[in-house]
Amino acid sequence: MTSVTLENVVKYYYPTIGSAETRPTLGLDHVSMKIEDGETVSIVGPSGCGKSTLLKVIAGLEYADAGRLLYNDVDVTRITPQDRGVGMVFQDYALYPSKEGEKNMAYYFEVHHRTEEEKQQRLKETADLMGIGFELLMGRQVDTLSGGEKQRVGIARCIVREPNVFLMDEPISNLDAKLRERTRTEIKRLLKKFKITTIYVTHDQQEAIFMGDRIAVMRAGRLEQFGTFDDLYYSPANLFVASLIGTPPISVLPAERSGGALKIADAASLPLSAELAAQLPEGRLRLGVRPEAWFVKSEAGSGLALTVTRIERLYTERAAFAHGEVTGEPVNALVPLDFPEVKQVFLQPDLDRAYFFAADSEAVLHTPGVPALF
Amino acid sequence: MSLIPAVGRKQFKARLGWGALAAFLWFGVFMHLLPFYIMIVTSITPAAEAMSMPPTLWPAHPTLAAWKLILHISDVARSVLSQPLSRYFFNSTLMTLSTMLLSIPVTSLAAYACSKLIKGKSARTLFIFFIGTLMLPGIVSLIPSFLLTRNFPFPLPVAPTIPGTDTAFPTLRIWNTYWAVIIPAGFSASNFLLFKGFFDGIPDSIINAARVDGGSEFNIFRRIILPMSVPVYAVVAYFSFGATWDSYLWPLVVIQDSKIAPLTLAIRRISDAFGAAGTTNPQSALGASAQMAELISQGLSWNGLMVLGLLQAIPVFIFFIIAREYLLKGVKIQGLK
Repeated sequence: MTSVTLENVVKYYYPTIGSAETRPTLGLDHVSMKIEDGETVSIVGPSGCGKSTLLKVIAGLEYADAGRLLYNDVDVTRITPQDRGVGMVFQDYALYPSKEGEKNMAYYFEVHHRTEEEKQQRLKETADLMGIGFELLMGRQVDTLSGGEKQRVGIARCIVREPNVFLMDEPISNLDAKLRERTRTEIKRLLKKFKITTIYVTHDQQEAIFMGDRIAVMRAGRLEQFGTFDDLYYSPANLFVASLIGTPPISVLPAERSGGALKIADAASLPLSAELAAQLPEGRLRLGVRPEAWFVKSEAGSGLALTVTRIERLYTERAAFAHGEVTGEPVNALVPLDFPEVKQVFLQPDLDRAYFFAADSEAVLHTPGVPALF
Repeated sequence: MSLIPAVGRKQFKARLGWGALAAFLWFGVFMHLLPFYIMIVTSITPAAEAMSMPPTLWPAHPTLAAWKLILHISDVARSVLSQPLSRYFFNSTLMTLSTMLLSIPVTSLAAYACSKLIKGKSARTLFIFFIGTLMLPGIVSLIPSFLLTRNFPFPLPVAPTIPGTDTAFPTLRIWNTYWAVIIPAGFSASNFLLFKGFFDGIPDSIINAARVDGGSEFNIFRRIILPMSVPVYAVVAYFSFGATWDSYLWPLVVIQDSKIAPLTLAIRRISDAFGAAGTTNPQSALGASAQMAELISQGLSWNGLMVLGLLQAIPVFIFFIIAREYLLKGVKIQGLK
């Protein structure tokens, strides 16, 4: 059982010969985080944000240029990947193509000079864990397996050794949608069973939310926020986190506070509650509204006119998302299904559930905080 | 066949085109096989008939006499070739196998290191350095290389003396030994390029997975990379075999002693025996030289040379068939999606 701690980890990337950039770029910019024992952490962020680099540093495939990395209380910053005892699952499966499934899983036991009995026993246990039909995959040549089957072998290869830390680098993003759904559930089931510390890298926030007990959001090598989904959703650290988490994304509109009133997008004006009035500065700011935090009306009133460009039905509910524009800014709103073919609806933000950001930076002025649901 | 689809082939014009194409290709096949036919036929032709004008396409009296004589060449033409044929064969085999044994591991490990283990600027510099050796024609480095075999590590005809004394620097002399052929062929830039191209195609994640599994770098190379790389090893082994087995100029420069001469030099020596006399017909040939006369009197002329040529070609052909098997077997287990 292992906890993983990163202390101010820095990783530089040196430019390739011939590129215009001559200075090294920061792959990881002073990342600090503590991943608790047995916890699953998703790392999410746009391409090139350093999430894979972070995983490689934790695995030892790259070494940090500065900072420390601890497994429990042991400094492993300079320990080779061979000696860290981690298990890693790769996006392209990375199975050894010249070996069958079983030999893929057995490689660990071969290089560690384990006994044949132990190997056989662990292989059997793993096959039982992986579920029905897995023993059939073990005997097959790797290149005859389908993508999903390959990834099952990849995961089995990882758990057969009882790793300290389980690292997954976008393990299911190469699978088709339906299989992805199934494999996702499967991985979650295995993780629950093992209670191994897991770090799961993905660019898909749905996957991150589903997998992770906590989620780390990264951008340009920096850790922007690290917390549960509720923290990230209701109390984002900045505008970037607010717009990354949530589908459809938060709608951001320019607004101006003058006295006790809030003027939104030069189109509507709302009175501010005493609590909000105490927190918000005078002048220009930005208002963020989640799709579910709009009051929707079909006739003109004090609301904002949303020109609907697209209706996206939610088949699990009697509702739909209306995508459109309010004075040129993209806005998404959750509307009841009795607006089937409308071209325009009128929206009024629920200011109790609204987010406020500074007009010229990503700083947060006010967030609603996690609602007390129960 | 698929160049013109089966349906289209029913049309007259397409048939004509298809026929012309087939004829052209068969002509190519014919032109390639003709020299081999001449070689084989000449090798079973009696000596006098082999030199007659016009040449005969099929001998009047086919005979295996030349084959028997060549197998005992040191008995029948001692002044031309002093060693038994098996000796030249042994020399060629020894040089070729030793070269392969040295050059394939050295070249492939260098390529693997350059492709997967060293990153950034140094890998690039190393790569350009290795490839740079390809830019120099081999003939340019012939004399410096020759001098190096005389007084290694000095590329000088005579080793320099230690300053202030009369003693020469100690040097290593590999000239006129097997090593003179084997060591310079220990690294091959063109094979390096082949290996590197292949290793570059192997995803890093496979190597990373093996590292996480706990394999040492060498174990990863031996247990994971090597089995994946069978095709490229087959290609390189074939190239390397052919290049050393058929090498002529370099052994000619560094090997003097006929006891260690490869088969290529033996063939050249017999060919020279004819060439020096400028033989075009039996009459002029007979009067030309003692060596010539000795060969002819034994019943050897171009036919003997053709026998040697065939003996020289057969191992390369056999090795090609073996390498091809592995090449096809290997293609199936490539790890590339």
